[in-house]
Order: sequence, then structure tokens, then C-alpha cells
Amino acid sequence: MSRMVEVKDVSKSFDGTLAVNAVNLVLNRGEFLTIVGPSGCGKTTLLRMIAGFEVPSAGEIRINNDRVESIPPYRRSIGMVFQKLALFPHMTAAQNVAYPLKMRRFEPAQIPSLVDKYLQLVQLGDYAGRYPHELSGGQQQRVAIARALSFSPDLLLLDEPLSALDKKLREEMQLEFRRIQQELGVTTINVTHDQREALVMSDRIAVMNEGVVQQDGTPVDMYRNPENRFVANFIGMTSLFEGTVCATGDGVVSVKSGNVLLQARSNDKVLPVNTRVDCAIRAEQIRIVEDASVYDNSVFGTIEHRIFEGDRIVYTVHVEDLGGARLHLFDHDPVSHKEYPANERVRLGWNARDLFAFQAPQSN
Amino acid sequence: MQRNQIIRTRLGWTLLDGVERLVSALWPARFKGSVGRVLLLPAVLLIGILVIGLGYMIEYSFHELDLSTYRLKDEYSLVNYAVIADRPVYMRVLNRTLLAALIVSVTTVFLAFPYAYMLVRTRSALTRKFLLIALFLPFFIGQVVRAYGWLIILGKQGLINSLLEGLGLPTLNLIYNYPSVIFGLIQYMLPFAILLIVPAVAAISEDVELASEGLGANWISTFRYIVLPLARPGLIGAFVVVFTLTLTDFAMPEILGGGTTDFIASAIYDSFFQLSNAGLGAALSMILVMIGSVIVAAIFYLAGTGTLGVREQSR
Repeated sequence: MSRMVEVKDVSKSFDGTLAVNAVNLVLNRGEFLTIVGPSGCGKTTLLRMIAGFEVPSAGEIRINNDRVESIPPYRRSIGMVFQKLALFPHMTAAQNVAYPLKMRRFEPAQIPSLVDKYLQLVQLGDYAGRYPHELSGGQQQRVAIARALSFSPDLLLLDEPLSALDKKLREEMQLEFRRIQQELGVTTINVTHDQREALVMSDRIAVMNEGVVQQDGTPVDMYRNPENRFVANFIGMTSLFEGTVCATGDGVVSVKSGNVLLQARSNDKVLPVNTRVDCAIRAEQIRIVEDASVYDNSVFGTIEHRIFEGDRIVYTVHVEDLGGARLHLFDHDPVSHKEYPANERVRLGWNARDLFAFQAPQSN
Repeated sequence: MQRNQIIRTRLGWTLLDGVERLVSALWPARFKGSVGRVLLLPAVLLIGILVIGLGYMIEYSFHELDLSTYRLKDEYSLVNYAVIADRPVYMRVLNRTLLAALIVSVTTVFLAFPYAYMLVRTRSALTRKFLLIALFLPFFIGQVVRAYGWLIILGKQGLINSLLEGLGLPTLNLIYNYPSVIFGLIQYMLPFAILLIVPAVAAISEDVELASEGLGANWISTFRYIVLPLARPGLIGAFVVVFTLTLTDFAMPEILGGGTTDFIASAIYDSFFQLSNAGLGAALSMILVMIGSVIVAAIFYLAGTGTLGVREQSR
């Protein structure tokens, strides 16, 4: 596969503050990458540097093998969908979609058929003559994406365009964006703070925090094999607690936390005895059990909160033995509909391969 | 300290509750819908009085001055209008005024736009502060004072001419001519135009300009196809305001023109107070009102109802 985008040691500082810190990313032709992270993590700055609206303080950006740092946005072959869409309010849907074709000097005879093609692609064929304010939120999204794609750019950039939509429409548009992206095979970088969106839409995810890419991999990989505490905590519903390594084996470590001994997965990293670690476990991996013998780890705790979410119940369990840690877990039995009331003492069980142990930061 | 604060807060709440109760007693909730209309009343009254005045002017303009009594005759006639059509001086003054209004409004809008754009878009707080102060300072100085200021600078013994004299160069006639009046008017109108254009530029989202650039437009195209059309209501509003203000201006041609370049307002003033001919003055006023209204109406018609941003807001 050929490389479409290459970001090499790119940094950006604003007034001495490092917003993006030596980021490296490679994107192959046709791939859909989502950069996900909390607000202020530098993801939008990185996207704007790729688009050409910001100039990197250091590093190289290559698109289609050409260095682009000093090339203005209008000379790059990039379609971008903005967070607030930025449709031209004085132009109809069709005029919006035609705008990049005109500016990029497409053959005038070609333009109407291209506009038509892309409005059909986003299922807005009948709305060509409508102005943005005459369209619904979802329809405006579609115009924005048709406008960003009509000139067949090398690269499509999405700057949280779905964040303003309500949940249902957002989930619908996630699938729609993905369908269009796959239909055209356009290389895409999406930026979001929504981990679910990242998992649903992407071929690959890069998790960013404090200007640094924490981990970069497929959604399944990111979810099942997080490399550090931040990634484990950011993706999925995760409970964290501290411990100390007291024995190490082949891929498995024994961790003492509070006054219990737990079996955890060391993620192929060597964790010597007495290393302080952060343990992380996902809510769906913890079970409320009667018989602990089938699980590698088992603790007793008291139910603190119970949140009924319809398809599942989220329990927060206070575990005195784990140094007072609070563990979140999902529970749902579609047959018995068994529920546990607050303050009930329960036994929890989970397996060693689902408990991640990460070396705690040195400063602590 | 803490106790005092609590007592004061309680007292504040009690007072507010009292005021609210009083208001609701005086103004029952079912009248609420009419609050807006009641607040509109002063403005409506003011315009109403203006309309009455205009009615009197129309009436005056159809009565000839009786030179034996120096009062308007009772019978209706078109004599005043005939006099205006008959004397070339009025046509000349009218043409001069219209031409000045056109030059001044085009130039002013042209100069005001970059200023307004910069004011809205600059990232430097210092630049914005400077531009704002420079914008509002002239409002504290009246038109007459400013015109005299120009006399001091441009006059026969003014700053520039003394400088030229000092350098051994011949002095120049910088005032009491048409260009100096135009110059003074542009300088006077500029802040008005900027103030009218600023909201229009501020309403253009910066993302829209970035989007245009990302879609392949350089800044010239972005300006032409995106910024200009979106700022149009403000530009037309500024044009109309500057045009009508210039059309009816009195002080600048009077002071900087020094009687050589009278505008129609000077002619109206002279008719009323020099010739004591209220009929003629009223007729001239009517012509001015007519011309102004027709031109403004034509601009609004040609530019569509979208002018001045008074229409349903497109997001």
C-alpha cells in the first residue's frame, strides 16, 4: 500500500506552550484514521497543520510524497469538513458543492454532472436548490461532505463535524460517513473526542493526550491491548487502582493491591518485582459471581450505586480489600433479570488476561 | 461579617420580591405581550411629529411669497417649483450635491471596509484597541469643530502653507473648493460607515473563509465570492447612510466651501433665512426629500430586501 500522509516529528507551539509534541503518523491510501483524545490534547492543531491552516514549528508533513508545510491550503488537495460545517449561507446546496470545482478550474461543462453525482452520493439529489438554512442538521452535514469530496481530493479531513448532532443522528451519520468513505476509497483523517465514534468508524485509531500520540492501532487492538493507563482509561469504561508487582511470570504478573494478590497481564513488558503499577479493568470483564473458582481473581465488595440503562445495569462496587477502589461493572441477565440492591455484599470475579498492569509513571 | 452578608442578601431578595409584586400589581401578566409595543411608542411619536412637519412643508411649497407683505399667499400654485426649474443656479447646486454624495459614499465605503475587516479579524488586542479608539475619537469632536480644524491645517495661513512658505515654495489654495469639501465629508463619514460595516463582517464566520481557502480559493477569490457577498447588507447600509447624510449636509460645504460650493441644504437655509421665502425653501426641501427617497428606494429595490440584514437570519 502506498503512503498518502506522513507526519514526521511534527511539533507546534503557541506562545511557548507545546500543543503538538513530536508527533509521528503514517496513513496509507484509502485508510480511515481517527485521532481521538480529550479537548486540548492537540488533535485539532495537528489536523489544521495537515490542512495548511497552521504551520508546524518543527517537523515534516508529506502528502502524496510531497512536502507541504509551506504550501497554502488552496494549493493542497484536501477536502475538509469543519466542526461548524462552514457552509456558504448565500449559496444553494448545489452552488456549495460546485464552489471547489470552480475554484480549482474544472472544465465548466463538467461541473453540473459532478455536482449532481456528489449530491446523489449523499442522498440529497432533490435538495440541490435549497439554501443551507432551509436544510436540516443532517442534510447540512451531507452538503458539507459532498462539498469536501466533489473535487476528488487526495485526503479528506473531518474536524469533529458530528459533535453538534444529537445522539441518534450522530450514530446514523457515523455510518453514513463510513459508507461514503468506503465507496470512494478516499483517505480520511477524522478528529473526535468521542471514543465510540472512533471505534465505529475507523480502520485505525490514534489516541492523543497532551500533544503526544499515546498509541496508534486498529480499533480492536486499541481496545484489547492498550499500551498505557491513559489509553486503557480513555477507551471503554475502565476502573483503575494501584498495586505493586510481587512475582513475574510469562506474560503474567502477580500484583499486590491493598491486601489481595491478583493475577494480571503485563502486556509483554518486563515488570520487575516491586515495580509500582496501575491496574486497569473494563466494566464488561468483571462478573458478579457465586462460585469464584472459574476466575483467576476474586474479591468481595459492597454495591454503592446502581444505574439502570435499559439494556444493561451499571454497578459501582466499593472494594475495601483493594485499598478502597471503586470498580464499575456491567451486569445483565436477560433470562433471570436478577438485580442487586445497593449495599449488598457481592463477590466479583475476573480473569488475569483482562486485568492490565501498566508501570506507574516514575514521578509518582 | 458573614452574618452581615447574609442579612444583606436576604434584604436584597425581600426588596426584589417587593418590586416584582408591585410591578405585577401595576402591570398584570395578561398585558405582557404589549410591553414591546408600549416601548415602541416614543419612537413612533417622534416619527409622527416628523411626518406632521413634512406635511406642513408640502403645504408651504405650494404657496407663492407675496412680496408686498412678505407672507405666503393663500392660493395654491406651482410658482416655487417653476422658479427652481427656471433658475440654472438651483440645477447646478443640485447636481453638485448629488455628485458629491456619490463620490463621498463610494469612496467612504471603499475606505471603511478594510478598516472594519481588520477591526473584526485582527488577533492582536493592541491593534483592535487602537482601531476602536481611532474610530470613536472623531465622534467626540463635532462636525463644525472638525471643519474648523481643517481650516487651521489647510487654510491660507494654515499649517501646510506656512510649511511650504518656510521651504520657499509657493502657497496652495487648499480650501474653499470642491475637493476640500469632498475631503472633509469623507473624513466625517468614515466612522459612520465603519460602524455600519463592522457587524456585517463580524457575522461572517471565520470558518467560512477558511473553508473557502481549503476548497481551493486564494484570498482574492475568497474575498470576491464569499466575504463581499456576505458583507453586502452592511456595505449597502453604509452606502445609503453616507449618501443621505452627504446629500443633506450643511456644515462642511458651508465652512470648507466658504460659499463657493453650496450644497442644496445651504440653498434651503438661504431661502428660509436670507430670502425669508418659506415657500421656496419648502419646495427645495421637497425636491431634496423626493430625490433622496427615490434613490434609496431604488437601491433597496435593486439590492433586494436583504439590505441592512433585516430579514430572517440565515445561519
